[in-house]
Amino acid sequence: MNRDQQGAKASYVLLTLVFLLWCFGPSVVRRFTREAFTEFQAPALELAGKGRDLVRYWELRSRSSEELAEAGRDLGRINAGLELKLLEMKNLAEENARLRTLLSYGPDPEYRTVVARVVSRDSAGWWQRITIRKGRTDGVRPFSPVVFGTRVVGRVAQVHLTTSEVDLITSPGFRCTAHLEGDEQRRVVLLSGTATGSRGTALVTNVPTDYSPPAGPVGDEAKVLTTGIGGVFPAGLLLGYISGHPRTTPKGDFKEADIAPARDLHSLQEVAVLVPVYPTPGEQLTESRVDDFR
Amino acid sequence: MREADERDIRPSTPVSRPRVLVTFWVIVAALAYVLAGLAYRQLVQSGELKVQSDSQSRRVVLIPPARGLIHDRNGEVLAENRVRWSVKADLPELQKEIRAAYLRELRAARAAKSAVNADDLMEKARVEILQGWLDKVWSVIDTPVRKPGSPSLRRKEGPLSLHKERKVNVEELRKHLRERRALPFTLIADLTFPDPTGKDAAPSPEDGNRSIARFIEQFPSDGPIRLESDIVRSYPNGATASHVLGYVKDTDSLPEPTVLDQEVLALQKLRHAGKTGAAGVELAFDDSLRGSSGWELWSKTSAGYNQSLIKRVDPLQGGHVSLSIDLGIQKTAEASLAKVRAPDGSPLPGAAIMIEIRTGEILAIASQPGFDPNLLAGRVTSAYYDEIDSRGGWLNRATQGLYPPGSTFKVINAVAALRKGTVRWDEVLDCGPSFRVGNRDFPEHDPQGYGPVDLEVMLAVSCNVWNYQVGLRTGVDAIAAEARRFGLDSQLLVNSAGTELPYPAGRGLVVPDGAYKSRIGAGPWSPGDTANLSIGQGYLLTTPLHMACVAASVARGETRTVPTIIHDPRRDGKHAGAEPIGLRPDQLAALRTGMERCVEEGTARSVQIPGIPYAAKTGTSEYFKDGNKAHLGWFIGYAPSTNPVVAFCVLIEGEDDGTWGGKTAGPVARDMLLKWAKRPTGLEAPVQALPGEAAR
Repeated sequence: MNRDQQGAKASYVLLTLVFLLWCFGPSVVRRFTREAFTEFQAPALELAGKGRDLVRYWELRSRSSEELAEAGRDLGRINAGLELKLLEMKNLAEENARLRTLLSYGPDPEYRTVVARVVSRDSAGWWQRITIRKGRTDGVRPFSPVVFGTRVVGRVAQVHLTTSEVDLITSPGFRCTAHLEGDEQRRVVLLSGTATGSRGTALVTNVPTDYSPPAGPVGDEAKVLTTGIGGVFPAGLLLGYISGHPRTTPKGDFKEADIAPARDLHSLQEVAVLVPVYPTPGEQLTESRVDDFR
Repeated sequence: MREADERDIRPSTPVSRPRVLVTFWVIVAALAYVLAGLAYRQLVQSGELKVQSDSQSRRVVLIPPARGLIHDRNGEVLAENRVRWSVKADLPELQKEIRAAYLRELRAARAAKSAVNADDLMEKARVEILQGWLDKVWSVIDTPVRKPGSPSLRRKEGPLSLHKERKVNVEELRKHLRERRALPFTLIADLTFPDPTGKDAAPSPEDGNRSIARFIEQFPSDGPIRLESDIVRSYPNGATASHVLGYVKDTDSLPEPTVLDQEVLALQKLRHAGKTGAAGVELAFDDSLRGSSGWELWSKTSAGYNQSLIKRVDPLQGGHVSLSIDLGIQKTAEASLAKVRAPDGSPLPGAAIMIEIRTGEILAIASQPGFDPNLLAGRVTSAYYDEIDSRGGWLNRATQGLYPPGSTFKVINAVAALRKGTVRWDEVLDCGPSFRVGNRDFPEHDPQGYGPVDLEVMLAVSCNVWNYQVGLRTGVDAIAAEARRFGLDSQLLVNSAGTELPYPAGRGLVVPDGAYKSRIGAGPWSPGDTANLSIGQGYLLTTPLHMACVAASVARGETRTVPTIIHDPRRDGKHAGAEPIGLRPDQLAALRTGMERCVEEGTARSVQIPGIPYAAKTGTSEYFKDGNKAHLGWFIGYAPSTNPVVAFCVLIEGEDDGTWGGKTAGPVARDMLLKWAKRPTGLEAPVQALPGEAAR
C-alpha cells in the first residue's frame, strides 16, 4: 500500500469515526459542534451583511447630484413627518407619565427592544427562517417576538453569540393564538405557518362557524391580531389579513382561512426583537432541554 | 510455468459424471420448486397474500363525527359541540427516553439486589417519563410571566392551581396500552375545563383560553407532546331543559362510515371513543344527530404504532334538531320552580309545562330537580351520578311522574256530567261541609261548606261536595270514559316514527273503573270510589303533561291535544284522535267562565296578572311520599281567556299541609305567562274564536 492509499484509508477511517461520534456521541458534543459551526460562520455572515450595506452606500453615492437632491428632498419631507410624529409621541409619553404619576401607577415595562439587521435567509426554506445580526451578546433570547413596527414578522427560534435565527410567521414551526377582526366575542383561534416552498401564507384554524369577516371595501381584509394571553406576544400586534373568505372544514365544526402576512417578507432588511424582560416558562423549558426538541 | 498452471486447475480427485448429473438435477429440481412456489404465490395467491399483508401492516382508524346541534324554536342553541383541547403524548417518540429510564431503573434494582420484574420496571419508566413531561406542561400553562420574587398573580389569573390531572393516571395508561396503543396517550383530557366534577371553583373560559394560548405559544411544537382538539358536547345553558335534552356518553360503537373503500373493509379497525345519546332527545334522535364516521388508513410499525397516513376520509356531521321549546320561557319556568321551597328552605320537586294550544308544540317543559348535562358529557364521576340519584334528579316529572290530579280533574268530571245530562250548567246544588257516601263522610276542603253552588262557582272555589253529588249521579263508567276521551289513558310524545323522548309520557297511567279495581284484587267498585274519582283522587294517576293537554283541549273545544317537542312551522294544528268536546255552547261557556272566575275571584285570585285575563283550575291532592302523607299542588289553565294561545300545567310535590295549588304552584304559572307575554316574537296566530264565544 503506497502513501496515497494509506492517506485515503486514514481519511475514510477519520470520516467514519466522526460520523459514528455524531450518531452515537453524547448530545452535548453534537450541540457544541453545531454551535461551533454557527459561530464560525457568523463573522462571514456579518461581513457579508456589512458588505451589502457598503455596496448599497456606494450605489447611492454613485447617483447623480439631481437624483441625490431629489432623494434628499424626499427624505427631508419624510424626516419632517417623522419629526412631527416624534413630537406627538413625546407629548403622548409625557401625558402618559403624568397620568402614571397621578395614579401612582408604574408597572415595569414587559419588553426591551433590540433592533437588528437581516443578514440572510435560510436557503433550506426561503420563506421560513431568517438570520439577524443580533445574538446572545445583545440580549436576544429564544421565543422573543420579532416585529416590524406593529406587525409581527416571526419569533426567535435559536440564538447564537452574535446572530439569531428567526422563524417567520409563514414557517410551519410558527404558531400563536389570535383574535379576528369582527369577532365581537374575541374568541381565540390558532395561527400557524403553512408554506413550504410556496409563497408565504399562514393559516388560521378553529375559527367558529358563525364568524364572517366584517364587510368592507375590496382590498380591506379583516385583520388578524395577537391575543396577548399566551405570554409571548404582546396583545394587538398585526399578524396579517384574512385572504379570501373563511371556508368550512369538511367536518363542519369550524372554519379556516388563509392569512396573508402583514409585512412583505421579501424585502425585510431590519426588524425589532421584543425581548421579554422576564423569561417565560416556555423559554426556560427550551433552554434547559434544548436537545429534547431536536 | 504453463504446466504448473494446468496442474492447478486439474481436480485433485476424479469426479464421477453420474454424481455430477445427480447433483445438477437435484439443484435444478430445487430451483424449479422454488420458482414454482414463487409463481404460485405471485400469480395464484397474490390477492390473498396482499390482503394478509395489508391486514398486518395497515389499519383503519375510524374518526367520530361531530353531532348535530339542537336548537330551540327561535334558533337558540341548546346543545352544541365545543372544542376540547387535550394534551397528548406520542408514545413512540418517547420510546428512547422510556428505554433509558427503564435501564436506569434496572441498574438501580440490580444494585439494590431487589427482585426485578421487567413489566413493573417498564411501567415505572413510562410513568416517570410521562410525569416529567406533564410537569413541564403545567409549568408552562400554570405559571404566569412575572418578575422573580414578585407577588403571585394566581388569584388575579383564576383558579388554575385547582386543576386536576397533575399526576399521570396509571390505570388509564395501562388501559391505553392494552386497547389503544397506536394512539397518543392523553395527559390532560380537557384543558379548558379540567375539573369534570365541578366541585372545585370552575375556571372561567378566559382561564381555559389562557392555558391553551400559553401552551400553543410557549411549548415546543416539534416535541412528543401535542395539543389536539376534538369536539365534545356542550350545553351552553347548563341544566336548562336537561330532562328533555338528555346527555351523551362515550361509546366505542361509532356509526359506520358512509364511504368505506372495499380494500379497507377487511382491515383491522381502530376506533376513537365517540359519543352516543344516553337520555332525552340526545338518545331519542341519536340516529339523526350522530352523523357518519370518517376514517384514516395508516401503515403501522411492527410494534403496532401508526407509521404514516395513507388516506383520509372526513366524517360527516349529524343533522340538527329543532325543538319547540322557547328558551326564555323554559328558563323562567325552571327559575320559578327553583324558588318554590319547603319550610326548611329545601327546594320542592315539581314540573311545569307550557303548550301552544293550536299546534300542541311544547314551549316549556321543566322538571325539578335536574342535572347539568355538561358534567355528564365527559368522564362522569360516580359521586355526581349518585348525587343526582339521591336528589331524584333523573326522573322527568313532567312526563314520567305519575300523580293523582286532584281538583284539576273536576273539569273532566263536569264535562262528563254535562254530556250525560246529570247536571245542568246553571243547576244550583246545596254544598255543605261534607257529603255522606255510604257510611263515610266525604269532606269539603272549606269546613264551612259553600252553600248553593253551580258549575261556575264550583270551578271557581273548587267545591268538592258538588263533584261528589254530580259524580255519583254520572257514574264511574261515564267519568272514566270521559277521562279516556281526553286521553288520560294514552301515552304521549309518541308518533309514527317512534317516541320523541326515550320513554313515552305516561307509562303506568291509571284511569280506574270497576274492572281495574277487580284486576288489581282490591274488591268491587264502591260509591266511595266514585266520589274519590270525581275529585281526582283514589286510583287515578296521570302526568303533568297529560293535564296540560287537558287544559289545551278545553281551550280549543276539543278532547285531544297531541303534544310534541319538535318545532315545525308548517304544523297544521290538527290533533290525531281529537273530536269536538261535545258540549253545547252555553255549557262550554259556563265551563270556561268558571275557570276564568277561578282566577278572578276563586282559589287562584292571588296569581292574577293585570292585563292578561286567563282561565285556570287549581288542585291540591294527597299522595304518599316515602310512606308519609303529603300534598301535591296543581295548577292548570290557558291564556288569554279570549282567543287563547297557550295552556299550562304546574305541579309541586309538597311535604305538608302548606302546599296548595293556587298558592304554591300558581306563582310558577304566573311567571311563565308573564315571560310569554313579554316574548319578542309572537307565536303562531292565536286560535280562532272558540265555539261558544258568541254565547257569552
